[in-house]
Amino acid sequence: MANSYLTSESKRLATWYFTFAAIIFGAQLLFGLVAATQYVMPSFLFEVVDFSVARMIHINALIVWMVFAMFGSVYWLLPDETGIETVGIGLGKLLFWAFAAAIVVVVLVYLFIQVGPADETSIWFIHEGREYIEAPRWADFAIVVVVLGFISNLYLTGMKGNRSGIVTVLMADMIAFAGIYLAGMFFTDNVSVDQFWWWWVIHLWVEATWEVFVGSLAAYGLITMIGAHRKVVEMWLWIEVAMLFGSGILGMGHHYFWIGTPEYWWEIGALFSALEPLPLVAMFIHVLYDWGKMQGEEDAKGKEHSVITNKPAFTWFILNAFGNFLGAGIWGFFHTLPQVNLYTHGTQFTSAHGHLAFFGAYATILIGMMYLGVQGKNGIKVMNHTKSSIWATCMIFGGVLGMTMALTVAGYADFIISRAQWGATWEGYFAGQGGIWYAQGMGWRLIMGVITFTGFLFLVKDLLSTGKAANHVR
Amino acid sequence: MVGGILMTQDIHVDDFLTIFVSSTLVLVFGGFYVGIYTAVKVKLLKKWAMSISYLFWMLCAYCMYLMGSLMHVNDFTVKALVVAAIGLFLLPHAVYYMQDRVHEENEH
Repeated sequence: MANSYLTSESKRLATWYFTFAAIIFGAQLLFGLVAATQYVMPSFLFEVVDFSVARMIHINALIVWMVFAMFGSVYWLLPDETGIETVGIGLGKLLFWAFAAAIVVVVLVYLFIQVGPADETSIWFIHEGREYIEAPRWADFAIVVVVLGFISNLYLTGMKGNRSGIVTVLMADMIAFAGIYLAGMFFTDNVSVDQFWWWWVIHLWVEATWEVFVGSLAAYGLITMIGAHRKVVEMWLWIEVAMLFGSGILGMGHHYFWIGTPEYWWEIGALFSALEPLPLVAMFIHVLYDWGKMQGEEDAKGKEHSVITNKPAFTWFILNAFGNFLGAGIWGFFHTLPQVNLYTHGTQFTSAHGHLAFFGAYATILIGMMYLGVQGKNGIKVMNHTKSSIWATCMIFGGVLGMTMALTVAGYADFIISRAQWGATWEGYFAGQGGIWYAQGMGWRLIMGVITFTGFLFLVKDLLSTGKAANHVR
Repeated sequence: MVGGILMTQDIHVDDFLTIFVSSTLVLVFGGFYVGIYTAVKVKLLKKWAMSISYLFWMLCAYCMYLMGSLMHVNDFTVKALVVAAIGLFLLPHAVYYMQDRVHEENEH
């Protein structure tokens, strides 16, 4: 497709990243459906795509599409924020193709090779077997090179152009984002020590650097979509950064409760985990506050039109604030204290939290950024909803919420039987898994998964076609 | 050993649902508190509504107390929950104070 309205190479590159991210998003949902089906029909695709493989692709694709969309978001906002073209854009394009090719190879190996011999070659060329970051060692190094190239582009552009508060936060955040990944590139024979470092990647990415990244995107979105005052938005951003890092870094303690780390982690984890919802409440209120304030200013002038210049994107930004509060906040707070986590960890309760938190906190805002890309690419001044965008939003959000509820029911039945009643015994595990509520929860999760995937198809249709729709203001 | 250090006694099976509902309400009421406080400050609601926001904070604190009691938490976690409740109470005050200052610098 021609990029006739894009004058910036950086924004053009961003659309490449968004496109690849959407493809991998589809793969994530597809393999999620395979895994969900296997919970209901265990023999489904047995020895073709086993549960372990489907699950691995499902969660790895989740991370990868989000990282692609995050890089795309940065390339999209950099020219607006710095006032110049991104420095090193040629390198950026080269790294895009290298990254995309590496991911395709990794997925094909996951899918068709699946397992290898019990020696170092498997770790180097097939997968490392550590959930979320299963990428083989060669791909680990490739990812580091790509991320360093991306960060150099970000830094060179930030130093050369206007360094806004948003860009400054992103520059600091991306260093942490890249540095922490290194903690997942080695393993030790001691499982406790190994898990200790592994959580540095998983927790500190998800509950610190990614959340800060989302705060930056929300700030950019509020400025570009509703014309919020930069000073006010950036002040909020700094508060959120302080609160997110202040609670999120040591909030990691809630992952150290039961892995063999010293007991003081119970207390550290309890204190900082109890504080972790505070920034999420603040972020939710912040978005609503700015929206209400800007709309109020317009109304006071006697103008009746909406201040929102991209309604589909803004809808996803609002869902981000709400979903983050709901998924990371409420579903996280459910079982973050060690007293109750003793019973719930590792059950479908965790899965319920994971689904809604990842979707609410990250997927939503990144889909919103894709809509900003479509708007810019097609030269649309005010972008309105289409039928497809409404169907996509309702089905994806409703589907994920439904999956979360189903998993919560299954998780509740699971831990009550297997932990609270049977005392975490071997027999208790199977009694929990065999319960009627557990089975029905898994059935409903599959149904809701199908609804989510159907919503995704509407989303793709809309992203591809809405640029030509007649109901936008150009 | 875990039980002895972490909690004063095991959680009763019948109490789990109440724990989850009350922990949800902690954040829901907390959100109402911050939301109504903000709405009053930006004049979307009248000043008398501020008392409702504080009522929601009290409900939030009660739910936190209920949750902690049913979990039979240890002394340290009690303190952590109190810090969280105070943190939530102070949050909109601190944010609005800074917000106000930024608006003054920005618009006047």
